[in-house]
Amino acid sequence: MTRLIATTLTIFLATAGAVRMLAAGQQEYKPPAGPTPRTSSGKVDFSGVWEKPYVPDMSKDGKGQKSAGDLPFTPWGETEWKAYDAAEGDYTGACLPFGMTRSMNTPEPMQFMQSDTYVSFLFEQNSWFTVVPIDGRAHRKGEATWFGDSVGHWEGDSLVVDTANFNGKTRLDTIGHPHSDQLHLTQRFSRPDLGHITYEVIVDDPKTFTRPWKNVRTLTLRPDWEMMEYSCEENNKSLWEGRIKVPKYKP
Amino acid sequence: MKTTHGCIGALLVFTAVASLSAHHSFAAEFDVNKPVTLTGAVTKIEWGNPHIWVYVNVKDDHGALQPWQCEGGAPNTLTRSGWSKDSLKADEQITIYGYLAKDGSKTCNLRTVTLPGGKTVFAGSSAPDAPKK
Repeated sequence: MTRLIATTLTIFLATAGAVRMLAAGQQEYKPPAGPTPRTSSGKVDFSGVWEKPYVPDMSKDGKGQKSAGDLPFTPWGETEWKAYDAAEGDYTGACLPFGMTRSMNTPEPMQFMQSDTYVSFLFEQNSWFTVVPIDGRAHRKGEATWFGDSVGHWEGDSLVVDTANFNGKTRLDTIGHPHSDQLHLTQRFSRPDLGHITYEVIVDDPKTFTRPWKNVRTLTLRPDWEMMEYSCEENNKSLWEGRIKVPKYKP
Repeated sequence: MKTTHGCIGALLVFTAVASLSAHHSFAAEFDVNKPVTLTGAVTKIEWGNPHIWVYVNVKDDHGALQPWQCEGGAPNTLTRSGWSKDSLKADEQITIYGYLAKDGSKTCNLRTVTLPGGKTVFAGSSAPDAPKK
């Protein structure tokens, strides 16, 4: 047992050492400074490539991430959470669509492209995207989807994106917190200066949670980055060799 | 064989593991209770999404070479951290620190690599330390 603990500590210390070497060898990235940019029509311009904090667990704080703490599960939500075992099926490991929150949670960057009519979220994770009308139209009444249906509107200088009509097949985060098809997200974006976005997401799902809860994050402008292709199916050996299983969804 | 693995319960270690990758849940494939250290010669690198794979030949307790495969981070994230597909070369002696797959195969989750020069670098995703070659 002593040997086993020693092995664990070796791995942890090696990792910590590797991270410390970064701190000694490189300065932390600082985005360009300047005022909040605006479009020709006077709206706050969110365009750019953005570094996001990686949030594998939305109930935890982290760098650039403030959580709401323990999640307020309903009995149904608690049962779903306790029953979840990623080893029995991991939809992201199977390259199925991550859904909105889990795409926002990944460490891969995202790019905003914006007009007066639309804002598009281009997620590097698996090269997915979401197009959000911001001209005041109502939600579409189509089939429920992995990413849900998003519409946006302006509240002063904040862009508020309202997303509903999820198919309920995704998880909120990597650790696997559940949600139902009653999930309703409110994402609020503001840009206090050139280099940062303040991002707030409110999770409202009365089947899974007794009350809405939120995360607040800081996104960082990365003009030194370009978006890269990410083909999830390119070499997904873990799925092909049977170590990751596809979830069994109810028809 | 230069392998050791064992049991842990430290939340500290799980937190570190959880930051490895967003492509899939760590627990879907790997066992946090089975850390492993592997020392051997690189035979091949696969540089593709959603994860890089590092292949090494590791001597077992009888001196026979056993082929292992270890999953690293996403190439996009590793590229931004300074890695490239040429950062590890065939026949280089490295030490891998990681975690064993749950299925008992000679597969591991790559967390850090000690390079031939002795430097230990992060090889998962979402951490910025990597060889600058």
